Amino acid sequence: MIAAQLLLNAVALGMAYALIALGFVLALNAAGAVNFAHGDLVVLGGGVAVALAFHLAAPAWLLVPLVLLVLGAVGVLAARVAILPLVDRPPETTFVATIALAAIVEHALTLAMAGAPATVPAVAGAGAVQVLGVAVGRQQLAILVLGGAAILLVWLLLERSWIGMRMRAVAMDRTMARAVGIPAGRYIAATFALSGALAGLAGLLLGHQFLVSPTQGAGYMLKAYIAVALGGWGSVPGALLAALGIGAFESLASAWVGDAWAQGALYVGVIATLALRPQGLFGEPAGRRV
Amino acid sequence: MSEGLVLEGLAVQRGGARVLDEVSLAVAPGEIVALLGGNGAGKSTLLETVLGLHPPQAGRLRWAGQDLARLPVEVRSRAGVGYVPEGRRVFAGLTVRETLEAALDASRSERQRRVGEMLDSFPALAARAGHRAWSLSGGEQQMLALARALMPRPRLLLLDEPTLGLAPAIVEDLWARLAGLAASGTAVLLAEQKAATALSLAGRGVVLRRGRIVAEAPAAALLANAGLADLMAGA
Repeated sequence: MIAAQLLLNAVALGMAYALIALGFVLALNAAGAVNFAHGDLVVLGGGVAVALAFHLAAPAWLLVPLVLLVLGAVGVLAARVAILPLVDRPPETTFVATIALAAIVEHALTLAMAGAPATVPAVAGAGAVQVLGVAVGRQQLAILVLGGAAILLVWLLLERSWIGMRMRAVAMDRTMARAVGIPAGRYIAATFALSGALAGLAGLLLGHQFLVSPTQGAGYMLKAYIAVALGGWGSVPGALLAALGIGAFESLASAWVGDAWAQGALYVGVIATLALRPQGLFGEPAGRRV
Repeated sequence: MSEGLVLEGLAVQRGGARVLDEVSLAVAPGEIVALLGGNGAGKSTLLETVLGLHPPQAGRLRWAGQDLARLPVEVRSRAGVGYVPEGRRVFAGLTVRETLEAALDASRSERQRRVGEMLDSFPALAARAGHRAWSLSGGEQQMLALARALMPRPRLLLLDEPTLGLAPAIVEDLWARLAGLAASGTAVLLAEQKAATALSLAGRGVVLRRGRIVAEAPAAALLANAGLADLMAGA
């Protein structure tokens, strides 16, 4: 029974990481460069949830659509400020601009939260429910349900809609997409809205278990970067599977040997995997890696 | 009849170097013009400038009476400019059907009707409609690049080295399609290194060398010119 609960926690953490990695890889493909502010958008999602819960006294479930909307708008703003004006410049320019954006978000959160970590309310209430004789944490269940639904909806958007086809066309070849009449800037901004919303949802869901602290962004960013490198640079299914694996490994190994050893083993595993397979587990030979 | 494509005294710089200089040419509706020249002559830059990828430093660029120079790339496509790039540049991860549908901004029913028309017109693509573009042969990818450009019914078609790497039978098929498009009033500007192949289709040829037009004549006259190869090579 404890093993089942442990496994559920592991999959839930992996699902939250998968949301982060999905938003990260969508933005990466759309802009052709890494958005180094993505981890801070995750933290911002948690921060916005904390602020909304405090100021509006909103029920916890209502935080989900509100955070999606706010972080979607922040994603568009990030695209307009740090991505689109630099889209035809070398990727290093976007690299620096998004690092600056990450620093701005982190410092703004530090000021807004007075440096003190805060907790996001559990979206489905506290405690556990019994499923087949196993006590399942409501928050873990919420992460699995909301995370799974978000990933399914993104898949349907990308693979089954005309807008998704055009988003993928822009991600594959921005110039040719424009040449066939696709307003690439608008689609890049839409992709960043989606990316921001996914980051916000992850921040909201993780912010109950791990608190929200302004300096967490770099850690989330690193997890997303590793998931994309392991999954195959630019591969959406690869990033999702790798993020699920990282979360599950981190959770299970921490329970077994403690957090410090688990983190060490994770990074040794990452180096070994990339040494054996530089293109990642599901990827083609690497493209640009800024 | 509209005036077609008109370039007057066009000059373009890239990386500090002038790659097009004093280029003036016109392509009338229904006309096929071959743009000839060796590597680095400026053929691709000229097509890309008409498409909107490079802003001209001087000169005028008009299409169907409209000043193109200020229009963004995506708006030029909507103004009737179609482009088939060198190396095909298909959307590798999209299927044939998705590629065609993505290239048309219209209602769902209109998109599907047009995709159906295009697949009827390109039977080789119809057989691969559900396949991703990366899995197609070179000839199929070239047909897909052409079909993608044709989705919004362009009235000016720019083609950059479309015969590169294609078998003669596929070139023949491509030429027949381009001749049909021109017969229906589409203006075609075709950049090719293979002068004889291009001039077998075009009515007129323009030779570019180091960014300048060095010769312009009816196709038959250029084909009869024994010095054409030297002219293109700059000898």
